[in-house]
Amino acid sequence: MLDERTDAELLIASRAEPEAFGELYRRHAEDVLRYLARRTLDPEAAAELTAETFAEAFASRANYRDQGVDGVAWLYGIARHRLGRFFRTGRVDAAARRKLGMPERDLPPDDYERIEDLIDFAPIRAALVEALETLGPDQREAMRLRVIDGLDYAEVAERLHCTQQSARQRVSRGLRKVALLLQERGMQLATEVEA
Amino acid sequence: MNTDIRSLQLLERDLEAAAERERVHLASGVEPSDGGPGGPRRLPRRGRGHAWRGIAAALAAVLVLAGGIGFLSQVRMGDDAGSAGGADAGDASAAPAPEEQLDKALDVSLTNPAPGATRQGSVAGTGGSDNGIGTAPRQQGDLTKVIRDGRIGIVIADGSFSKGVARVIQIARQNRGFVLESTSRDERSGTMTLRIPAKRFDDSMLALRALAGELDGAVEFQDISGQDVTAEFIDLGARLDILKERRDLLRELQREATSSNEILRLAGLIEDVQLQIETIQGGLRFLKDQVAEATIKVEVRERDVEREDPGPNPENPSLGDSFELAVQGFLRVVGAVVVGLGYLIPLGAVALVAWGVVRLVRRRDRAAS
Repeated sequence: MLDERTDAELLIASRAEPEAFGELYRRHAEDVLRYLARRTLDPEAAAELTAETFAEAFASRANYRDQGVDGVAWLYGIARHRLGRFFRTGRVDAAARRKLGMPERDLPPDDYERIEDLIDFAPIRAALVEALETLGPDQREAMRLRVIDGLDYAEVAERLHCTQQSARQRVSRGLRKVALLLQERGMQLATEVEA
Repeated sequence: MNTDIRSLQLLERDLEAAAERERVHLASGVEPSDGGPGGPRRLPRRGRGHAWRGIAAALAAVLVLAGGIGFLSQVRMGDDAGSAGGADAGDASAAPAPEEQLDKALDVSLTNPAPGATRQGSVAGTGGSDNGIGTAPRQQGDLTKVIRDGRIGIVIADGSFSKGVARVIQIARQNRGFVLESTSRDERSGTMTLRIPAKRFDDSMLALRALAGELDGAVEFQDISGQDVTAEFIDLGARLDILKERRDLLRELQREATSSNEILRLAGLIEDVQLQIETIQGGLRFLKDQVAEATIKVEVRERDVEREDPGPNPENPSLGDSFELAVQGFLRVVGAVVVGLGYLIPLGAVALVAWGVVRLVRRRDRAAS
């Protein structure tokens, strides 16, 4: 049955009825993941940040006050905060998940491609090519094959003589470094979501 | 959930599990524990509380550290001042002054009182080794004006009160002073107030201390205070000069006045100014007298007589004194903290810059790798 409550109503209701938070998650999880993926360029980091964002939102939902700020804006506020910390520290904190007793999961292999599909590389392709020069040879080659040439991971792994998982990790970590580098240079990786 | 991204499906499951744990906790009415696999509701509050507690603790630590540093720096400054005073005494020993002889005799080394400060010492019991007699405030040319007051209590042998009083009067005269007032009780105890030329203050105190020995007695207590009135003196002098100039100007105008109304108005103004001049001159005269002559209150009693007026007891101050002490203590602590912050802030700024540099280098290393 479709839940017609607004995001703000769901957040408030979830204080006494925790499962109401699930509806909020289902509505916005993929958008939040896309938002984070387009900024981090890294499927692993994006997935971790998404998990941390929702964990923190769940843990702190009692602090939400319906003062004209929509629930989804509040959610993206947490995501932005997490993203800022990621760009400052270069890593994703798992504090909220740990507090809730949630596991820290590795990214399933198929998710690399799926999350990369959410990232629109076209606007940053030129900057990406330039940033590739700052990477080590393995990561640079993996990135070039996957992101610039658009090969799938089976082909990337074959070209690099490594496993698909290793190829995914090289690309993922290469993308993370590129994102951090571009962020340091003050480059906007994606337009802000109007929350 | 309508997505083919596996990690989002797993996350949904994890969140549902967390929600279920919390629902159970809510149903049981038990607040979930921190860090446990449940109860997120309390976690952010605790987290926020921890953060505030952390900030408060850090702030308190900084203030305590600043207070400690400030206190140590003040103690150090006090030590420096003390050793400077000692050096002064050493230099002066080439041409010993009476007050320095007194210092040596009594094994003390006290510095001049700071402007406006009061220096006191008190002795209980025999008074053989402890005392508060210090060197006379050194006159910095003719500028320094210090009002000196002393208070001494002497216990003498039974039956020697009259002799003691006579000796006190004699000491006052020998030092070109006089007894301002005196009271006695049963010819066995009494109090005398002496006015002594300031330059003879230390000699007089020395002689009074020696009197205790002469009459087989002891110094019971002793307080010495110095009140620096230099600033007040200079201020009054400056105001006097200004008023005199104004009076002269008014007189000149009066001479040139043509109408009787104007002459009368100026006469009134001159009278007002003259009154102010005389008031200030009176104040200056009073100050000069106070500076020129020190006051020594001498309490003499025979050994078997109980002390009539124990005076203020620093061990058991009155409510008013306690309040004043509390205010002084508070201001001292605040002052120490401010001094300490003066040390910590530049150090903190340097640490901040160093931290920024380290962070920048690390970030570059990370980007390079």
